[in-house]
Amino acid sequence: MTLRADHVAGAAFIAFGVLVIALSGDLPMGELSMPGSGFMPKILAGFTIAFGIVLIVRAGESRPFAEIEWNDAVHAAAVTVITGIAVYFFEMLGFLTTMVAMMFVLLVAIERRPLHYAALYSFGVVGLTYLTFVYVLKTPLVTGPFGF
Amino acid sequence: MDATLHSLLTGFSVALQLDNVWYAFLGCLVGTLVGVLPGIGPLSGISILLPVTYGLNATQAVIMLAGIYYGSQYGGSTTSILMRIPGEASSVMTCVDGHAMAKKGRAGAALCIAAIGSWIAGTFGVVVLTVVAPPLATLAVRFGPPEYTALLILGLIFLAYMSSSSLIRTLLMACLGLLLGMIGIDNMTGHFRYSFDLAELGDGIGIVPVAVGLFGLGEILSTPSTNVVGEVIQPRLRDLLPNRQEWRDAAFPIARGTVLGFIIGIIPGSAHVISSFLSYALEKRVSKHPEEFGKGAVAGVAGPESANNSASTGAFVPMLALGIPTSPITAVLIGALMLHGISVGPTLVNDHPDVFWGFVASMYVGNLMLLALNLPLVSVFVTVLRIPYAYLYPLIIMFCVIGVYEVNNSVVDVWIMLIMGVLGYWLRKFNFDPAPLVLGLVISPILEQSLRQSLIMSNGDYLIFFQRPISLGLLGVAAGLLVLAALALIRARADWRTRLAEAEAGEAEA
Repeated sequence: MTLRADHVAGAAFIAFGVLVIALSGDLPMGELSMPGSGFMPKILAGFTIAFGIVLIVRAGESRPFAEIEWNDAVHAAAVTVITGIAVYFFEMLGFLTTMVAMMFVLLVAIERRPLHYAALYSFGVVGLTYLTFVYVLKTPLVTGPFGF
Repeated sequence: MDATLHSLLTGFSVALQLDNVWYAFLGCLVGTLVGVLPGIGPLSGISILLPVTYGLNATQAVIMLAGIYYGSQYGGSTTSILMRIPGEASSVMTCVDGHAMAKKGRAGAALCIAAIGSWIAGTFGVVVLTVVAPPLATLAVRFGPPEYTALLILGLIFLAYMSSSSLIRTLLMACLGLLLGMIGIDNMTGHFRYSFDLAELGDGIGIVPVAVGLFGLGEILSTPSTNVVGEVIQPRLRDLLPNRQEWRDAAFPIARGTVLGFIIGIIPGSAHVISSFLSYALEKRVSKHPEEFGKGAVAGVAGPESANNSASTGAFVPMLALGIPTSPITAVLIGALMLHGISVGPTLVNDHPDVFWGFVASMYVGNLMLLALNLPLVSVFVTVLRIPYAYLYPLIIMFCVIGVYEVNNSVVDVWIMLIMGVLGYWLRKFNFDPAPLVLGLVISPILEQSLRQSLIMSNGDYLIFFQRPISLGLLGVAAGLLVLAALALIRARADWRTRLAEAEAGEAEA
């Protein structure tokens, strides 16, 4: 049997539905005349599992899992990791430092742009955004230990 | 009618205040840029720019955000015609004949027809909205919890039925969105649900991190910069006006697209996308020269462009009259108003007439503004299109981070956005449309509350939904749609939705 995209997707949704039910253990279902806080989530988790099963049953209509192209996955993973690191340091180092660093790394490490262009662009664009938000839109941005 | 006209005049007095005109202009300009740039759709544009509106009052905020919405519909045509890259999904059909016209040296005419058609459609939509929304809101005031439950269920079923991806996939996405909407404190019992001891999750997951993550970041993750290449055709300003024959060819398609788009706009789903596909199919069917489609047919530009703009306005009817979002974009707009302390629903027109009518009147102003903006500034937009995507997407990521963080000053929201970005990437790989997820998230609290209130009202008797005529009627329509969808499944026959999906996929690949 060929493993198809909808086999994987359906299984993921079933697992998610089961997880929701497991996490809802302490939420009361209540009664029909007074539904509890677990009433809707458990019904929806049930629907998710049911639809997941239908997806698997009808998986023949979907393309084989092996045919899904993942050639952009490296780019996506790299962007996610770099953004994740920036988010981690966002409140510690402030907007200016983290965003300049994030843009610079994205441009140099992923896009292979020349260092001086990347530096100029990162400082210029982030600086302009900072000034626009703080002075024009009067929306304060996160500051770091250096006061900006 | 007199009362409506009087209220509309009051609305104009609000919309024509200098600062409101400025925000309408800003919204239209930014919206056009959002539409022009490939990779940022109207939803991510609105979500990213939401924090910019915090310093504004509710009227100014909604005027600006709506400007971004319909501006992006206009702007999407520019990239479609000049680069054959749809700035956003509803412009896919414009690529086909718009770019073919551009290659024949008629880029200016194609842009002008798209702009005029969009303006006529937008204005028509606002006129109908002006007439229809207030009486509909008066009717909706009589809605109780059972009617709201039935209406929301019908909305979800409609969304699933109209979706060009499969019914099951749409329902799965809606379920996921509804489940995400359950996170946080249960309003009726005070229980914490799935908050994992994170205080920030007590108020639930906001629509902004989810929408920005799924549509903004998700789009970037799915679009490696090496894949964004395209040659821009520079239109000559002197060729901007269509000739007499082109005007004649555009007139009826604009009229048909306008009416079709508005009707589809009211129905839940990605109306502006569906309307442009249906309009293209309709024009091809009624044309005396269907063989010209794909080779630069004027009707292939005029119809879809009018339809998607009319649909954008049509989507405001259920939003303003019933407080029900029929698309993720109207859902974000509702969220924006809620952030400003305005509850959107049938009472909006009476409780906040300045917001309601100011917003409606601003759409007349905005449509005129877009017409004035789009044609003379086309060379500016062409210049923007020349910025390499490799430089553009880091900027978009930065705006995503600021946009999400500024909503609650919470880094947890930014993490949620990042997770949603990865989820959005994964969903695209498996051919899931994330839009119903956002819609599910927004209606989740309303649906849960109205369902539970209905059951409490009836002492646990489900028959309450069938004993009240309005909810019975709404559920009847929902059941009818499910039967239609099931029949198509049983017969394993390709109905119009399958053909639409195939056309959508085919054009997107072309």
